[in-house]
Amino acid sequence: MIQDCQEIRQSLGAWLDRELGASDAADVQLHLQSCASCAAEKARLERIDSSLKSMLEKEASQVAFEPFWAGVRQRIAEERPWHDRIIDWARGFLTPPRLAWAVPAVIILLLGIFSLEKFFPGWPPVFGQTNLAAVEHIDGHGFNVALLREAKTKTTVIWLFENQESEDETSAEPASSEQAF
Amino acid sequence: MKLPRSLLRASRLFSLGVALYSSPLGAAEPAPQPVQLKIGTIMATNQADCLDSQLAKMKQQLEVIKYRCYRLVREDVQKAAWQANSVFEIVGGRSLVIMPAEYRNNRIALKVRLLEGEKPIVDTTVRFPNRGNFLLGGPAHEGGVLILSISAMAQ
Repeated sequence: MIQDCQEIRQSLGAWLDRELGASDAADVQLHLQSCASCAAEKARLERIDSSLKSMLEKEASQVAFEPFWAGVRQRIAEERPWHDRIIDWARGFLTPPRLAWAVPAVIILLLGIFSLEKFFPGWPPVFGQTNLAAVEHIDGHGFNVALLREAKTKTTVIWLFENQESEDETSAEPASSEQAF
Repeated sequence: MKLPRSLLRASRLFSLGVALYSSPLGAAEPAPQPVQLKIGTIMATNQADCLDSQLAKMKQQLEVIKYRCYRLVREDVQKAAWQANSVFEIVGGRSLVIMPAEYRNNRIALKVRLLEGEKPIVDTTVRFPNRGNFLLGGPAHEGGVLILSISAMAQ
């Protein structure tokens, strides 16, 4: 229950703004009827409120609100860019609990994809592995060496050509190196 | 800091998944059983059109080389240990020394040395798919050339 003048004056603003509860508002009302000093304070606050209100209304009448509201209506009506919509969607979708599930799920999915090679050799082909042989090192010990890789038949051929001197000594027949390739 | 219950649950499940993955799947690739090496010695000539019936499966591969006649002279199969040399006798006093070097990503790496007597003709390292093959050719022999089909199969 509000009783003394100090409390009443502290509550006057709220009372004028109709923010007090019914009981407190009744106390203030009753006190104002019997206390001239608080009633004078109430009148002072009402005058300040009234002059502020009239001044704001005067100023507001000079402000052109129509362009402001037109801008608001235009922003509401206009099509938003796709990236803004995606960002908004992502903000709504990527909530912490969903992220907590999504991140491990993506990692497990990636581990699974990279494990496929163990169960399905040669798949997926996107990893660039081919069925062709790869010659990592070759030393012909004086022989000329040709390497042929043919993707269509998955054929890799290492072909040795004897040097001219040794060719003269051998009895290799028409199946010469030129004919071979 | 108190984590949301769903976050804790997701973290636990993720840890469990990673643990399960890393135990059987993520472990180092086990050393495979001995590798089976097969060497086909093929004689290629231009004397007439012919294809040995035993080479029918290799017809397309041999056509890349463009001789007219192919005859399988011999075929040798050996089980070879990894990192150990296996020796194959080749016609004409030649020999082929093969060492299975590595098995990774379903591909086999072979170190291959072709010798003529004691003299090395070629040294090479070739990596190819398990159960695949490659051809090594060129040495002259009895009016034609020899082509070696070298294939490997890890068990």
